[in-house]
Amino acid sequence: MVRRRLIAPLLLAAAAVAVRAEDLNITEALQALLDNALEVKISARIFPAEAEKEPWTAESTRLTIPGRSVKVRLEGDNVQIYLVCTPYTEENGDVLLLSQGQVWFTEPPEKKAKYFSTFYSIPVSYGEKILYFPLGMSDTDVQEQGYFNIELEIVIVPYVKEVPQ
Amino acid sequence: MCPDREILSAWLDGEIDSPWDGALEEHVGSCPDCRARLERLEGVRRSLLESPMPDWRPAMERVRSSLVSRGLASEKAAPVWRRRVSLPVPLAVAAGLLVMVLAGALAVSVIRSSFGMVRITRQGSGGTEIRIAASVSDLESLLRSVDEDAGSLEGIIMLPKDVQLLPVGEPRMGKEAEFSRRKSW
Repeated sequence: MVRRRLIAPLLLAAAAVAVRAEDLNITEALQALLDNALEVKISARIFPAEAEKEPWTAESTRLTIPGRSVKVRLEGDNVQIYLVCTPYTEENGDVLLLSQGQVWFTEPPEKKAKYFSTFYSIPVSYGEKILYFPLGMSDTDVQEQGYFNIELEIVIVPYVKEVPQ
Repeated sequence: MCPDREILSAWLDGEIDSPWDGALEEHVGSCPDCRARLERLEGVRRSLLESPMPDWRPAMERVRSSLVSRGLASEKAAPVWRRRVSLPVPLAVAAGLLVMVLAGALAVSVIRSSFGMVRITRQGSGGTEIRIAASVSDLESLLRSVDEDAGSLEGIIMLPKDVQLLPVGEPRMGKEAEFSRRKSW
């Protein structure tokens, strides 16, 4: 009878150990995610036609894990740019960046809507700069005509969790 | 007049209150018949107290078998949790304490796993912070929580209002080194 009485405590102990083990697995899984986490920095710059003027800049930094997309939408008066960056880590430690860009814009005076779509697969190293010209790459002649130029810079670095002091 | 057998037995067991117990005592003292009956009753009581406890299990089994043969009871014995068991007090106390401690540990573990919160912070001006307040009971639910919070991975940048951006060519993308004509900044 005494042995039967011990069954319930033993079952409770086994359940407690199982729950604790699951808790540990979650911690390990979270640590694994953090170890592989990546920071994707996307900077947008608009260069004015006048060379002496400072460019307009904006930056968006997102934390992700390999295989998960980071999306940035740029909204202007006559243009909308949608950039989707999906980093994948390769066995050699490099990153393969899959990037999709979509651009909607209207041109005066007809105000007709136009659409561009691009898709690139670029192997990059950590910290290497990738440039995206959603409206094309301008040259000096075009800028002298008074056009603005926009470019996006994408940089991927491993996420480093700083240890609190 | 002599008291009957039940009254004598009750008096012998001390169940007759005053003043009747005194009257009975006086009568038994003067009545040889009642004294003889009283001695027989005392003999029966003494023999019952001195005789060993009879084993009631065979008799109970016979009764149960009889009931089973008539379809009035099942052959199955009572389940374990309905059986009465006896434990020494120290062992029972120790078992109770053990159960309480284990139940407490189990409750704490369940609460921790049910209300887990993941918080990733990064110091500095461009700080990055991810909060997952949903239940984190396993990795699958963690990833589901991240997926449900997909909006956090989409950033919106508002371009300046006074700028009319116009296409100057086909969209292009590549490494920085590939764009040598890019205006430096």
